[in-house]
Amino acid sequence: MTEIRWHSRAGQGAVSGAKGLGDVVATTGKEVQAFALYGSAKRGAALRAYNRIDDEQIFNHAKFMNPDYVLVIDPALAYTDNIVENEADHTKYIITTHLSKEELIEGIPSLKGKEERVFVVDCVQISLDTIGRSVPNAPMLGAFVKISGMFELDYFLENMKRVLSKFPQKIIDGNMAAITRAYNEVK
Amino acid sequence: MQDLNLLANDNRGQHQLESGGNLAGWHEVTQGSILPSFEGDATNIAHMKAEERTYSNHNSYTATVASWRVKKPVFNIDVCIDCQNCWVWCPDSSILSRDKQMLGIDYDHCKGCEVCVEVCPTNPKSLLMFSEYTPLDEALSQWPEKKKKEEK
Amino acid sequence: MAEKYDLQEREVWDGNFAASQALRQAQIDVVAAYPITPSTPIVENYGSYVANGYVDGEFVMVESEHAAMSGCVGASAAGGRVATATSSQGFALMAEVLYQASGMRLPIVLNVVNRALASPLNVRGDHADMYLGRDSGWIQLDAFNAQEAYDMALCAFRIGENHAVRLPVMVHQDGFITSHTAQNVYPLSDEVAYNFVGDFKPVDDMLDFSKPVTYGAQTEEDWHFEHKARQHKALMDSRPIIDEVFADFEKVSGRKYNRVESYDMEDAEVAIVALGTTVETARVAAKELRAEEGIKAGVVAIRCFRPFPFDLVRDSLENVKAVAVLDRSSPGGAMGAFFNEVSAALYTTPNRPLVTNFIYGLGGRDFSISEAKRIFKEQKAHADAGYITTDIQQFSGLRGPHLGFFKTKRG
Repeated sequence: MTEIRWHSRAGQGAVSGAKGLGDVVATTGKEVQAFALYGSAKRGAALRAYNRIDDEQIFNHAKFMNPDYVLVIDPALAYTDNIVENEADHTKYIITTHLSKEELIEGIPSLKGKEERVFVVDCVQISLDTIGRSVPNAPMLGAFVKISGMFELDYFLENMKRVLSKFPQKIIDGNMAAITRAYNEVK
Repeated sequence: MQDLNLLANDNRGQHQLESGGNLAGWHEVTQGSILPSFEGDATNIAHMKAEERTYSNHNSYTATVASWRVKKPVFNIDVCIDCQNCWVWCPDSSILSRDKQMLGIDYDHCKGCEVCVEVCPTNPKSLLMFSEYTPLDEALSQWPEKKKKEEK
Repeated sequence: MAEKYDLQEREVWDGNFAASQALRQAQIDVVAAYPITPSTPIVENYGSYVANGYVDGEFVMVESEHAAMSGCVGASAAGGRVATATSSQGFALMAEVLYQASGMRLPIVLNVVNRALASPLNVRGDHADMYLGRDSGWIQLDAFNAQEAYDMALCAFRIGENHAVRLPVMVHQDGFITSHTAQNVYPLSDEVAYNFVGDFKPVDDMLDFSKPVTYGAQTEEDWHFEHKARQHKALMDSRPIIDEVFADFEKVSGRKYNRVESYDMEDAEVAIVALGTTVETARVAAKELRAEEGIKAGVVAIRCFRPFPFDLVRDSLENVKAVAVLDRSSPGGAMGAFFNEVSAALYTTPNRPLVTNFIYGLGGRDFSISEAKRIFKEQKAHADAGYITTDIQQFSGLRGPHLGFFKTKRG
């Protein structure tokens, strides 16, 4: 079982990102779960989204998890939200930031000593450059594909195109570019 | 001509509203208390006269409520002008009229409310209330004379 | 003729989307709805299927849930296949008309996405609304995940529309935990799904001019009791038909459902009885406890909440030593309603297992595997002691001092 927790703000696309990831993972024959904790939240409110991925049907419906991956798609939430909550000793963090890894960890004491498991990528800037507005979910998927090694990039892109098929071609192209760039830039 | 049966097989008012010991058990009542109005196919029912229709026992047409009445309206055909006012106003569809000709009163469904008498415009009135026990010919023999204008 | 919808063999759908696809495949004639969180997408999606030609039906937008169910009653009495969806406050506002629908024996399907009842206001999942419907005369089916929200919706039409049943059916799923959680769902093809549900065959429909009928008759003390008795009998008699429909559904889907589901119960010493997604989380806990500590734990789940499977609950639990019944609804000054029903069934067994009541998960409070394990372990302690060692009713997952009521009387 692979468990993923997304930290995001309402409107940044964590829910769509989690569902899109689930959609692609399901095409590999795996069982997936994608859900989020939001209710009457307004745009901009902090929220968390979750994925579970397994070879067997997933019966656990609890939101509680010891995540294998923590994906932070809002730069400020890395500082203000408790991103290490219920972490395991192998939990990997992918955090969107314009800072270097060292600069980031300097400001977030709870990440100290976990340098090996922390990865950074500037999803906001990448989405501004490729899609034209700040929707950091797509680049985060690219970074996740790289860090997790769960898929070949081409395979993921091909399936993501199908998930996005209801959108105009320009949006699809922007998302493909965003995923590819983040895949290459995450470190 | 009062309380007339228009057809021999008319089933209007044929049974008392049921109460007491002979009611159907739970296993016999209709599903969902949904009540069919007619026996058999009713496709052309709208074009048939009431007395020709096959009203079911669930329809009030076949039940009589005459025993509720204390006073009854009596209809005097000699004074009536067939204006249909009583037919329009009767709350229980108990004025029998056909081709705009007043025929009489459906005593199975009339509850004796007196609205027909109230709205009757003739002088003297063509409908008047009498005791339930007054025979019709006796009632007609007591009919008042026309009132003169100056008596008003 | 409806447009062809592009369906994959394996979809990733949340419970709301799954339920709306079942409505599309069943080709609902009328949906009268007043959308409310978290059930909104069910009727919203149906509206888009109508607008885009995927279903030949009518979406009727009304001014309240009371009107929504009233519209459904009218459309169903007129002779159409009718469904809608609601939650929580909307369900509460529908309550009056729910009794009309069942009393008139109208096979409406209502997708209830379970949500807590205010006050305080809350949009998340608990079973307060589901419990509110338990005396309404509807069949109540419970889905534990998105796949089942789809499967149960299809079965609901077959069950309710059976001329020996003629009753409305609610399909429950947990708000957000099922309704907004995307999971693998394996839909039937449109053709297989529609053939399973079958053409709608109305009975006593008001638009049949060859047989005019009166709906909504008044019955006073000389008739009302007989009509309600007949309605209750119909609800009780729907049990074998629900079994038949589940058996037929297995033939087309490979997925087998039962009015009472039992997991790891063959040799179980302790059991959790639950509804909704909690069932599946508890199954994981039971499996892990068996492996980790050798505790013979099992789970019994109620798939068909109404008609209540009194005999099947008894059969599935009579050999267990201790049972925890989990109520996800504020009990309002009593033991949990579900606890009372399960206890009544177990009181008629020779062994009379020890039964305790947990109030948990109100307003969507998380129910974790570790919480389920803790409850199992308490049952094990009761079983070993031979009596209930804790309060009979306890709140679980609550902040603050322990909250519980009543102890066992011991001689």
